[in-house]
Amino acid sequence: MTINNDINNDIKFLAKSEIRLKILSELNKKPDNVRGLVKKTNIAYSSVSSNISKLEKNNYITKVKNKYHVNPMTQVYFKNLMDFKNSVKIVNDYDSFWNKHNLNQLSINSVKRITDLKNSQLIETTPIDIYKTHNTIKKQMIKSKKVQAIFPYLHPEYPELIEQVLINDGSVELIVSKSIFKELIFRVNDNIRKKAIKKGKLKVYSFKSDLNLYLTICDKTMSLGLFKNDGSFDQNRILISNDQKSFKWAQELFNHIQKQVKQ
Amino acid sequence: MTATDIKKELNEEFSGVKYILTSGMRSKLLIAMYESPKNLDELRKELKKPSATILHGLKELETINLIKKVQKYYELTSNGFLLTTNMVKLIENWYAINKSKIYWNSHDLSGIPDGILNDIYLLKNAEYVNSTTSDLSNAFNTYIKLISKATKLKIILPIYSENHFKHLIKVLNGNKLKKLELIVNEEIIESINENIVLKKELLMNKKVNVKCVNKKLKVFLTISDTFMTLTLFFNDGHYDDSQILIAKDQNAIKWGKTLANNYKK
Repeated sequence: MTINNDINNDIKFLAKSEIRLKILSELNKKPDNVRGLVKKTNIAYSSVSSNISKLEKNNYITKVKNKYHVNPMTQVYFKNLMDFKNSVKIVNDYDSFWNKHNLNQLSINSVKRITDLKNSQLIETTPIDIYKTHNTIKKQMIKSKKVQAIFPYLHPEYPELIEQVLINDGSVELIVSKSIFKELIFRVNDNIRKKAIKKGKLKVYSFKSDLNLYLTICDKTMSLGLFKNDGSFDQNRILISNDQKSFKWAQELFNHIQKQVKQ
Repeated sequence: MTATDIKKELNEEFSGVKYILTSGMRSKLLIAMYESPKNLDELRKELKKPSATILHGLKELETINLIKKVQKYYELTSNGFLLTTNMVKLIENWYAINKSKIYWNSHDLSGIPDGILNDIYLLKNAEYVNSTTSDLSNAFNTYIKLISKATKLKIILPIYSENHFKHLIKVLNGNKLKKLELIVNEEIIESINENIVLKKELLMNKKVNVKCVNKKLKVFLTISDTFMTLTLFFNDGHYDDSQILIAKDQNAIKWGKTLANNYKK
């Protein structure tokens, strides 16, 4: 791996000052002059004006007709910085979800695109609702026409849920641990199963090594669960989302794991 | 609001970014451990800093739960791994942009949607071929040489250029190229239709599939199985035929495909 083992001075120049970041964020939305920026941000006139001149001197912004515009490249830099900022936010916001959990089976691409999960919601069980995570997923799955899932363990209700989706003429595609493959398959009603497999509505792949990842993709929603570092599945937390970016993120992850099955 | 309130608000808005990115020590430590878990001795050698400095940095990172010590080795926690991967992405992006700063800065980027612009680090192995005063068509000739070897081409064509068409037709009439997908807008297609030869050789050619989109096209993008090229317009609206970006790795080709798909939508 070749990483330029140093944070570029330009990154430091921008990241060092929240005021500069704020100014860029405003100018990125709309070109403006110092007075306008002061009004929008409530930052002191002198700070705005001194940072504006630093930004101009370092070629991040240009003055055109009395207003400052960000240069095209600055937009790219700024977007990248904000993308990083959002990744920090996601790590912090869902700290209990990531912390001390096994991320080995996430693809490097899914980690790089972690900000796609920005609009997710963390569902945690509570003492009065200890099945909250399972029930949330169940509700999503039962009315779905298309289910893709990675099951590292067998929940007793899964066979029935799968039957339900198939009865409604939906399709189910599963990646499961080798150890539960047979159990799961044979608990699904024989007739329904055989018919669905014939019609291509049910596909089940057996994953050779251990699965450390729980993922369901139902029509428009996705949910993600992780294993703890001690090797047990964390039944108390899932990340769910119904926005398009997360959905696509989940699909890419599903495809990534599926490729490993085929190899 | 008082000055301290504003400061606090700003700190919250950009929290985390500053802490990680402005300390060379902290970021270097994270990157060193991103490669593999390391012990103090290895870190000291890699960073060329005394133990005390390194231990201090390690302590800070341990406190905010980005790294942990397992036996004698320091390694990233899951949070640290998420964060460092994204920091490395940021640095790689930055490196790629810097390398090509002049190219990107002097061109109109409005034809590249935000999400895709964010990924231009995928182009980090790209080369930039410029025409020079002694060879005014260097960029163009390099391009023609590339397309003449392709078996499959997908092109977003934002310009009507008979010179380009002439060479495309020549390649189409050869044996190598099996399929050409052209993405153009109505204006271009009308112009092609007015020229009998182009209409016959391009639009009616069985190897050619033309997709007409109702969009302003601001990029000249070509993708094959083995390369991608990109030329852009200047900010003043003129097409720049003197600079071409060429990349031959899968990441760059993937980036190009994403961009092309975006136009087809």
